[in-house]
Amino acid sequence: MHTFHYPHLPTELSTVHVALFNNVTNSSEIRSRIVRASQLHGPDGEAEREAVNFAFIDARLICSVLHLQTAVYQAILAQAQDSLRTKTVHSEILWALNPTNNISEAIRRYGVADSTTSLIVVRISSPHLSNVQELMSRVVTGTLSPLEDLSNITDWTTVKKYHKLNTEPALKAVAKDSAQEHIVVNEIVTSTVATKSVSA
Amino acid sequence: MATQDVSPTLKLLEKSEKISQGAEAKIYRAQLHPTPFTSESNSDGENVLLKYRFHKQYRHPTLDASLTKSRVAGEARAIIKCLRSGVNVPGIRMVDAAEGVLGIEWIEGKSVRFLLGGGAEDEGDIVEDADAAKDEDEVTEVKEEDLLKEYGVSADVVMEMIGTELAKMHQADIVHGDLTTSNMMLRHPASPKGLQLVLIDFGLAYISTLIEDKAVDIYVLERAFSSTHPASEGLFAGVLKAYEKKMGKDWAAILRRLEDVRLRGRKRSMVG
Repeated sequence: MHTFHYPHLPTELSTVHVALFNNVTNSSEIRSRIVRASQLHGPDGEAEREAVNFAFIDARLICSVLHLQTAVYQAILAQAQDSLRTKTVHSEILWALNPTNNISEAIRRYGVADSTTSLIVVRISSPHLSNVQELMSRVVTGTLSPLEDLSNITDWTTVKKYHKLNTEPALKAVAKDSAQEHIVVNEIVTSTVATKSVSA
Repeated sequence: MATQDVSPTLKLLEKSEKISQGAEAKIYRAQLHPTPFTSESNSDGENVLLKYRFHKQYRHPTLDASLTKSRVAGEARAIIKCLRSGVNVPGIRMVDAAEGVLGIEWIEGKSVRFLLGGGAEDEGDIVEDADAAKDEDEVTEVKEEDLLKEYGVSADVVMEMIGTELAKMHQADIVHGDLTTSNMMLRHPASPKGLQLVLIDFGLAYISTLIEDKAVDIYVLERAFSSTHPASEGLFAGVLKAYEKKMGKDWAAILRRLEDVRLRGRKRSMVG
């Protein structure tokens, strides 16, 4: 797990914990837990919501650490300015990642699905939350992996499809060079995420 | 719940290094994200350039906020359109429209103006970084071949690169609005993306399919060349040649209009 600290952000949002899990076997269970947690009332509901208080992101759709950081950062900014489009800062990350404005589409595409096997788990908190990795491991059954592994997981075909990049001149220019293409796609996708709050 | 007195973006600006200031915006160099991998050699993390459109006291606050927001959004949109169209531009790293801050990719390199021996600019420009001002003061007299040597290209090749980027941009119906040699940079060949000619500052950019707008865009650059770089007609001819080659069949109409514009200046009508 990696922890990033942003000293200029409000204290309770200043710390970002990111973990990549491979070989995840309980995706459908995670998904149904999140759904159930949102429907429970009373103290049980509070406890269950706290237990799954993370962003669960399909790692195949993330091009780079910068791509992920950009989405997380824009979500935190939105929370700090009281301009969230979704209910929580964690769901806002999924919204920022998706190129359209449709929230349920964002969650369906970028969130955890029953078939997900590689999962990025993000928790935004104050610097005082300590046992984050343990909290994550209680929810996710899988192999904790270094973030560097992301480059082997990215599903560039789906990324290009979701961002409608296949017909763009930028990609035609690098069609024969996949390393070059990944640089171009990563740049477009990261910039799109950064611009999400002002895109029409 | 999370609202604090000082906006996070303004706090970030306070910690950043101010590079230059114009009438419209201040430019900073900042580090946005903590580095992910401490093992990596460049453990400083990626630099970003922050363009801060500060509050204009002379405007009504409501108008100021809405103008600032739409300009940040407009600049960001023009850059995205360029990226998708394969025009070399800096990527976007963050947007805080409420505060008027646009964070873009830091480009390791120098402005074409500087590399052609036009000197570093003394005001309002994002290409002149602090190091350039300090280290390069004495060498402004040095011939451009020596400045360009580090980049492994000749001035003629740079002109070709300019013409090609402009053509790609105009084919995507993006008009830059402020083409000068200060608004073009050469990305250093040692940087991860390699040697590139990068167009910067899309603050005045807009979308247009009109021949007139594209011809004026070229005309503005032609004038900028002749005023910043003495005896540069030959160089600029190289820009037009590469532009013509890339534009193909669209070139004839633009050339015809460019000749009109040269006679009358960039304003179509002198009335008013």
